[in-house]
Amino acid sequence: MTLLELAQRVAAQAGPGEAVEAFASHSVTSSVTVFRGDVEKLSSAETRGVGVRVVVDGRLGFASTADLSDGGLRFALGEARANAGYTSSDVGNVLPAPAPYEPLDGISVPALREVPMGDKVARALELERRTLGTDPRIASVPAASYGDAWGEVAIASSTGVAAAYDSTTCYVTVYALARQGEETQTGLGFSDGRGWQDVDLAAAAGEAAARATRLLDSRKPATARVPVVFDPMVTAQFLGVLADAVSAESVQKGRSLLAGRVGEAVLGQGLSLIDDGRLLDGPGAAPVDDEGVPTGRTVLVDAGELRGYLHNTETATRVGGSSTGNASRGGYGSTPGVAPTNLFLDGSALPVDDLLRRADGGLYVQEVKGVHSGVNPVSGEVSVGATGLWIRDGALGEPVREVTVSSTLLDMLRGVTALADDRRFFPFGGSLAGATLLVGEMTVAGS
Amino acid sequence: MLDESDVRATLAAALASGGDWAEVYAERRDSTGIRIDDRRVEELSSGHDQGAGVRVVKDAQAMYAYTNVLTHDALLEAARAAAAGLSGAQRATVADLTRAEPPTRHPVRLAPDDVDKARKIEVTRRCEEAAWAAGGDVRQVTASYADVSTRAFVANSLGHLSDETQVRTRLVVHVVAARDGLMQTGFEGPGASKGFEHFDEIDPATVGRTAAERALRLLDSDPSPAGEMTVVLNAGGGGVLFHEACGHGLEADALAKETSVYAPTRGQQVGSELLTGVDDATLPNGWGSFAFDGEGTPAQRTVLFDRGVQVGEMSDRISAGELGTAPTGNGRRQSYAHLPQPRMTNSLILPGGETREAILRSVARGLYADGLAGGEVNPATGDFVFGVTEAYLIEDGELTRRVRGANLIGNGPHVLRLVDAVGDDLATKQGMCGKGGQWVPAGFGTPTLRIARLTVGGTA
Repeated sequence: MTLLELAQRVAAQAGPGEAVEAFASHSVTSSVTVFRGDVEKLSSAETRGVGVRVVVDGRLGFASTADLSDGGLRFALGEARANAGYTSSDVGNVLPAPAPYEPLDGISVPALREVPMGDKVARALELERRTLGTDPRIASVPAASYGDAWGEVAIASSTGVAAAYDSTTCYVTVYALARQGEETQTGLGFSDGRGWQDVDLAAAAGEAAARATRLLDSRKPATARVPVVFDPMVTAQFLGVLADAVSAESVQKGRSLLAGRVGEAVLGQGLSLIDDGRLLDGPGAAPVDDEGVPTGRTVLVDAGELRGYLHNTETATRVGGSSTGNASRGGYGSTPGVAPTNLFLDGSALPVDDLLRRADGGLYVQEVKGVHSGVNPVSGEVSVGATGLWIRDGALGEPVREVTVSSTLLDMLRGVTALADDRRFFPFGGSLAGATLLVGEMTVAGS
Repeated sequence: MLDESDVRATLAAALASGGDWAEVYAERRDSTGIRIDDRRVEELSSGHDQGAGVRVVKDAQAMYAYTNVLTHDALLEAARAAAAGLSGAQRATVADLTRAEPPTRHPVRLAPDDVDKARKIEVTRRCEEAAWAAGGDVRQVTASYADVSTRAFVANSLGHLSDETQVRTRLVVHVVAARDGLMQTGFEGPGASKGFEHFDEIDPATVGRTAAERALRLLDSDPSPAGEMTVVLNAGGGGVLFHEACGHGLEADALAKETSVYAPTRGQQVGSELLTGVDDATLPNGWGSFAFDGEGTPAQRTVLFDRGVQVGEMSDRISAGELGTAPTGNGRRQSYAHLPQPRMTNSLILPGGETREAILRSVARGLYADGLAGGEVNPATGDFVFGVTEAYLIEDGELTRRVRGANLIGNGPHVLRLVDAVGDDLATKQGMCGKGGQWVPAGFGTPTLRIARLTVGGTA
């Protein structure tokens, strides 16, 4: 029985007056982390599970199980039904109607499943060796890892949805620790793609080493108001905050600072913010979302102006619109929320060097700490700890530590004055693209 | 929960290619989640998860394979997959399994499974309604209820077998208040290793009201000033500072890898003589408590620094082996799908001799942080940052203006030395701690603490 057939068997048990949906997933993953020339951790896993939604009279019940026997599935369906008896009725509690979708070629590289474990170990060891050999100041590599995953998802409902696809991912990550005297600094490097050939060890090793070593000999500066440039990883972290704000779920619940601002200018320099679930460059690409709705391209901010929000079926139904294909689940154990697929900034972009020349005397922020505590997604107040480098004569200069950057999210976004052409997707915590970004003048608090 | 002869066969298969020892960890997890949002019962979910992992350990290497199919064949297949990470000849055998008695108990009087769902919704509802009732500027209330019952089974080739049921319950409320274009939030989230009786002991209405009142107070506040100043941390809230600034650096994996700023200072005076810090998994019914950790080591109380002298660390079996010490029962895992890591359980700074009032009176000018949000730390440098949820200026020993948006930025070892007053008023908070992609329940406790000077990042 295929995963889709299993999901369809559950959905077929819908009684009169009720709608039933089954979301089934099956994944096979492996990862290897090495330390000092030896395997430190090796993991290999296979998991399956089903989440069942039942809607009766606009009331929603949910249950999930890892027990895929007939008895286990029957129990989960029964519980989802019972739970629907306790919840409140809402116009948004509907299952989507079926819609045709185009398969997405290129998100699955089946050959990845055939790679022997020994080759994966060898690759992680090679990554560690290369990182150590990059620079004499690299004192150690706290973790060098290889990982891959194959996953299949199937969604079937009594309303007629029947969708399934599989995808693969392959990645390496490495932390380099640089030491000079008493001071230590760390840097992260990574490389990822769909198949074994997409991963570039030299690039990841070089990135980790460069990010760690260039911070050595850092000083805490005096407080000043200067132009601030975000490194692509930092831009991606702030895009993560923005991702919450453009979710219709956050908007409808009054938890978005972008609520009620459609038509307003929210991004500087005529930049656009786009989500595209069919963009093959992005790790979040998929033909359908987590309730079987086809994914697509959604222009959220067009030439600086807010156009709309990301929707799943529930949030779209509430406002009489249609889903943008952004239903997202944490796994078979959770109900669909709203999340971007591949989110990125678009617009006229400069070479990085040109952008840095425009920010002379400014701060290049390489790392921010405390984004989850220091950015209030509701009030928009931003105050984060930062580490980075001064920009001198259009290049990166001496490093700085222990500064705080403060602003509000909207001031920051509207204040953006340049985007660089080094766009790159970061697969950590969603699929968010970073690029070097000149965010204008901000207060940088030191001593 | 697993057949002992199946477990023995699985352990034997896991050791076939040269591991020092092997382990089977299996769990069943039943959970209930309720969310009331915008006055509606938006979600009532039931989860039934299960799975088992087989680990083979050689020196500090860990090979792991897991599955969520709990059959003998699936366990054997996982054992073979884990063993495939090594390529030697068999060196160890499986000892007779002896069932270990729990060293501490965290009694549950009312198992969540025995409580009607309508009562669980009612508890959540009381919390939510009290938050709405706190004031007209309350715009949004989300109240969530969670109960999780985990049956955790651990057996290893050294002869250990334990089988424990851990029950946790928690009520979490988020409130948004707004006035004149300004929005502020309030949060409360009391949790415990208790059954449904937890909600008789904490008043759900008080939980909702407390969160709402905080959001409302923040509407009447000014942006925080920035700069270096004396900071007083309220009882309980300062736990995040200890957790971030010292706790993670005293986890034995970071010490063994020498990525921790505390690696070179074992046995040395690292903090103020006023400070004694412990990690205590035996705290009765504590949020981070248990009887056995994720690899079967009994729960214990570990002194981390004694009057400022760094005397201990938190370890799992592997990191303890690397340091040449005994494991301290801090090997925790999020689920069967995760390897154990050295983690904090309930981290506490023990109370000192001064009253909160006396500490505040002693400050001519500074910041009183009444509640801290999450934070982050770089374990290699000890640099940290965390957000302050609510703060007051201290002027001539009195709390004066209420301020918002403050951040505390500093360095762990520095701050430990700069604590110059410790209150007599220990209070605890509960949260979820993330490390290496795994989230586990962690308790934090501190008395009122005065830090002579700390960088405050503000928005004013």
